[in-house]
Amino acid sequence: MPATIPLTGGVRWINECFAHEDAHEHVSVYLIETETAAILIDSGSFYHREAIAERIDQATGGDGPEAIVLSHSDYPHAGNISTIRDRWDDVELVASSGSPELQGLSDAQRCTIGDSRTVLDRRFSFVDPPLADRSHTAWIYDHGSGVLFTADGFGSYHEPADCDRTSRQFEDNVPRETIYQYHANNLAWLRYVDPEKLEAALASIFETYDISYVAPIHGHPISGRELPEFTNRLVDVAGCIASEYEVPEP
Amino acid sequence: MAREIEPGFYWIYEGGPDRSEMFAAEGSSPAWANPDEAVYIPQCAYLLCGEEESLLLDTLSPAGSDHILDELEALLDGDGLDYLVVSHPDVPHAGNTLAILDAYPDATLVAPRYGDDHELYRLDDALRVGEGDEIDLGGYVVAFHEATFLDAPVSLWMSERTTDTLFPIDWLGFPHGESEALQFVDELDAPLGDDRLVQFHGRVLFWHQYVDVSKVKREIDRLIATHEPEQLAPAHGLVVRREATEQMTRMKGVVEEIERRDRIGTLG
Repeated sequence: MPATIPLTGGVRWINECFAHEDAHEHVSVYLIETETAAILIDSGSFYHREAIAERIDQATGGDGPEAIVLSHSDYPHAGNISTIRDRWDDVELVASSGSPELQGLSDAQRCTIGDSRTVLDRRFSFVDPPLADRSHTAWIYDHGSGVLFTADGFGSYHEPADCDRTSRQFEDNVPRETIYQYHANNLAWLRYVDPEKLEAALASIFETYDISYVAPIHGHPISGRELPEFTNRLVDVAGCIASEYEVPEP
Repeated sequence: MAREIEPGFYWIYEGGPDRSEMFAAEGSSPAWANPDEAVYIPQCAYLLCGEEESLLLDTLSPAGSDHILDELEALLDGDGLDYLVVSHPDVPHAGNTLAILDAYPDATLVAPRYGDDHELYRLDDALRVGEGDEIDLGGYVVAFHEATFLDAPVSLWMSERTTDTLFPIDWLGFPHGESEALQFVDELDAPLGDDRLVQFHGRVLFWHQYVDVSKVKREIDRLIATHEPEQLAPAHGLVVRREATEQMTRMKGVVEEIERRDRIGTLG
């Protein structure tokens, strides 16, 4: 396994997996190599603590990241912040949480959903996510690379042989069934979704930002070329999840 | 801070940070709030001490670690804790799980059976419960339910049979003023307005922006008919002792309002 898988514009995918009975789920982080520093998007799960730290070490020549930008404080995303900051000095932490002390992130710099800010030498916008579970989740758009990091959205499960694949390595894009299984299991509220509202919200984001890749934490990175079809499948999947759930009779 | 709701049934409260600036910055300073006092959206845990066993639902946030341990020591008065129920592995609900288990090593950790990532939340060794499961504490009997309106997929709701109390976790929360802390809703000076419910649910369950409102309304009707609670004990609001089903019914209008608006804000 390579230390990282390059995507575009200095963005590298550090893909770790959690094995379910019949499928794998990515629990990834992303490393952005700028001209002067490395920035980590999310910190991964404690479950992969040593592997992630080693792969960051290899990718940065031992220097480690100088900043972590956190999509939200859910444990599989924020589980290695202390480890990384203990191993490498002066790692800046930026998080969208409005109450970092309640989230165990007491010294985080707050980013506000809807705003933009520069972290080290990279410009980020923090996007209101239409596909998320926790309230304080932000999708993170990296203006330097055009990559949109989508936290829990745009995920998919995968076969054990497909761990290293981006959307480009599939003959026919990421399989619809794996998108369905992931979203049905992880975004429970989709049972109530109106898919047209979801589609409109996603379209608005795609019109606002020039996206080279969508980079989920729990799925394959999706290149701009495959993004329209992936999005069609995702909206279709959301509609199926909703139509399969009938409110039970009391 | 804690308050006894019924004999041996305690409401343990953590106000968290003052939210008044958050509302003001977003141009939504609440009309119901006294401008001279802080505004809180609390974390609440609930301790049930039965005749034979005790159970704690949720753990407060990491900022409330000393507080929950001090309250447990005082309320249990030397007795052990038998069950620690984590409603879902969100930091403000589960952030003190390890600290409480360190203090009460004989306690059984209880977690939702729903979702499929328990190992990623250190819940793989927990007793997993859901719809149909009950624990009889002696006098108090708790029943577990699949969470209906939730954020994390690994989630549960709980009810208590003898008092007909529903614990809807992240649903039915709302902000309150500093002087209203630990008051029951029927003790407030003015009736609870829908605006407070909109402010909370538009932030925490923001996904109501994207739903089929009529379907959510049918779900609320089902919840009312299924549970018919006498009391509501939310994780992020004040306890409702009276007209609980009316409070649930009001949520139908709240969902309509959230769907009508743009994103209200965030929380957490």
